[in-house]
Amino acid sequence: MSAEVALTVALVGRPNAGKSTLFNALTGGTVKVGNFPGITVEAVTGQTTLEDGRALRVVDLPGVYSLVGAGDPDSDEGHALRSLDALKGSPHVLAQVVDATQLAPALRLTKELLARGQPLLLIVTQHDLLVTQGSTLDVPGLSEALGVQVVAVSAKEPGLRVKLLHAIADVARLGPSAAVRTFDDAALAARVVRHDGGLKDRLRARTERLDAVLLHPLLGPLVFLGLMTVLFASVFFVAEPVSAAIDAGTRFLAQHLEATLGPGRLTSLLVDGVLGGAGTVLIFLPQIVVLTVVLELIEASGYLARCTFLVDRLLRFVGLGGRSFVPLLTAHACAVPAIQATRIIREPGQRLRTILVLPLMTCSARIPTYGLLIAAFFGARSAWFKSAAFVALYVGGILAAFGASLVLGSRVKRAGASKPLVLELPHYRRPQARVMARLAWRTASRFVKDVGSVIVVASVVLWTLLNVPSPGGGDVVVPEGSSEKVVAMHRSLAASVGRALEPLTQPAGFDWRINVGLIGSFGARELMVGTLGVIFGIEGEDAEAPLAERLRETKTASGAPAYGVPTALSLMVFFIIACQCMSTLAAVRRETRSWRWTGFVVAYTYGLAYGLAVLVFQLGSRLLA
Amino acid sequence: MSVPMTSSAATLDVLEVGRAAQVKALALDAVEADWLRAVGLVEGVAVTVLRRAAFGGPLHLRLSTGLELAVDRALAARVEVSP
Ligand SMILES: Nc1nc2c(ncn2[C@@H]2O[C@H](COP(=O)(O)OP(=O)(O)OP(=O)(O)O)[C@@H](O)[C@H]2O)c(=O)[nH]1
Repeated sequence: MSAEVALTVALVGRPNAGKSTLFNALTGGTVKVGNFPGITVEAVTGQTTLEDGRALRVVDLPGVYSLVGAGDPDSDEGHALRSLDALKGSPHVLAQVVDATQLAPALRLTKELLARGQPLLLIVTQHDLLVTQGSTLDVPGLSEALGVQVVAVSAKEPGLRVKLLHAIADVARLGPSAAVRTFDDAALAARVVRHDGGLKDRLRARTERLDAVLLHPLLGPLVFLGLMTVLFASVFFVAEPVSAAIDAGTRFLAQHLEATLGPGRLTSLLVDGVLGGAGTVLIFLPQIVVLTVVLELIEASGYLARCTFLVDRLLRFVGLGGRSFVPLLTAHACAVPAIQATRIIREPGQRLRTILVLPLMTCSARIPTYGLLIAAFFGARSAWFKSAAFVALYVGGILAAFGASLVLGSRVKRAGASKPLVLELPHYRRPQARVMARLAWRTASRFVKDVGSVIVVASVVLWTLLNVPSPGGGDVVVPEGSSEKVVAMHRSLAASVGRALEPLTQPAGFDWRINVGLIGSFGARELMVGTLGVIFGIEGEDAEAPLAERLRETKTASGAPAYGVPTALSLMVFFIIACQCMSTLAAVRRETRSWRWTGFVVAYTYGLAYGLAVLVFQLGSRLLA
Repeated sequence: MSVPMTSSAATLDVLEVGRAAQVKALALDAVEADWLRAVGLVEGVAVTVLRRAAFGGPLHLRLSTGLELAVDRALAARVEVSP
């Protein structure tokens, strides 16, 4: 597939111009297409074949308004500038992607690109929108005035790919334009775009109607809060029936395996290890898909940009800003891309604070643990109660982040002037069903692959450690009447490690089993439920009982229930705050270029998580006793 | 907070909602002013305030080029306009 690259084309342009859409058209790739200015935060590379059979590399750069004044190397401008410099020395074409309805402001960037002396092609895209506005573009006139090849396209036109490849190959052959022409952007734009009037701008009319409600001083914030609540509650509601079906499926499989293989080591490995671990995680697949798709809908529709408008003031108050909202919301799916998305924040201090508090947002890897704890300890409550508990956990993460940011506020500073909010508000668009479906599919398959590899391996390793006897574990007291395999587990290596930590964790209500789970999920919190699944899978005598039930019915050596509501609450608080995620730490390190800040994230999240877990457990045990 | 300005000039933050005005000058440091121009808020462009966010939040602007922007109020106070 990766034949010798003969030519590289770099797509440059203002945020939201339509670069990613063209990238996908060229490469058949699946770059996320967003309707938020600046969503491509990293150069994405793909490959395709030119008409003469040579390989063409396509680079989609982050959106930029201008390349001059790209002082901050960590900003999108800095990244784009470096990518453009790197192209020099090998055959390449810069393709500036211009939104046809925004020609005048784009011509400023054209001037900067022309001054670089690299071969330039102007791709005027979203031409269909210009037409619906009743305007026409004088393509030859524009090309003549700029001294550059111009091609006008729209994303859905047939033959788009070939048309683009033609234009790219042409520019590559001709090289950079000889003479740099001078022109006045506003005057030139006014000359080449003829507005025939008559037709009214439907996109703008729809935007005005929606904004009248969604940005209304009173209704706007109410709708925003309502939507966020529905979003988090839907994670619970929509996904529950599907989760229940998957759960029933894995339990049926467990029963079937036990029946056909009979009792024994292999059966225990398969049923308790693999199914107990991976199977219990699989039931959270629907939740994670629903969440990812809804977050994507918010962005693709153009509502995300409105959210920044609504919450800028509030976020400023806690030391963040409107632009922080994008990573903060993205972090509800996963903190890793969110940390990268902080590049759209123009103020270095604000960006750093955002990175430091992002790990507190409720990412989808926490959902399984929350789901399990709610099912186990509030299982008898109504669905409304359970979904409210879910929303409360999300709100808990958000409040923790705000609190942390307030505390960090004056202390965490970086050189750089304060940069007040300036953000483009794009028109609302209808998200494309095909793009959403593809995203759902990708999320699901990545999750299944994860479960199929990492979580299965981790579960099997844990199952083994729970079966290797610990030296000197022989005199551990085990509940009366325990089966052989339960006794073995209580006296295992893993159990002895968990038990060694009990003096430290007992004040928070964590016994050795939870400790083993927490150690197992130190690097990746999604392993928590799988780990508990293995432990309680061995412990439970009845393969049919769901994990939540086993958790609730676990007894201490003296026969009392091992866990109650205070334990659940304390564990939830711990999970909200502790940064149990290696990938997040790696991303923090990458984006801050500092081990000190990375270490700081570990220290403050674990310190705070432990302190609050102890507080909650102690208070909970007294108040609920 | 504010830079001394000629008393005759109005600024964007006090512009009446729905009324169009023309951008005259950007009373900002050079880098920030250039960035703002690159976004599209250049001298000479006509601008309308569509709405203001609650509690001193940003302004929602529409430029004559069709571009819509959310702009911080403190920053708007440094954009001089003439009706
Ligand atoms: N009608 C129409 N819409 C388009 C066209 N091309 C892109 N869009 C829409 O414009 C929006 C922005 O497109 P993207 O391809 O994400 O833009 P981008 O330049 O990659 O944006 P950033 O990633 O933010 O830099 C999306 O809502 C697209 O669906 C087009 O030719 N016609």
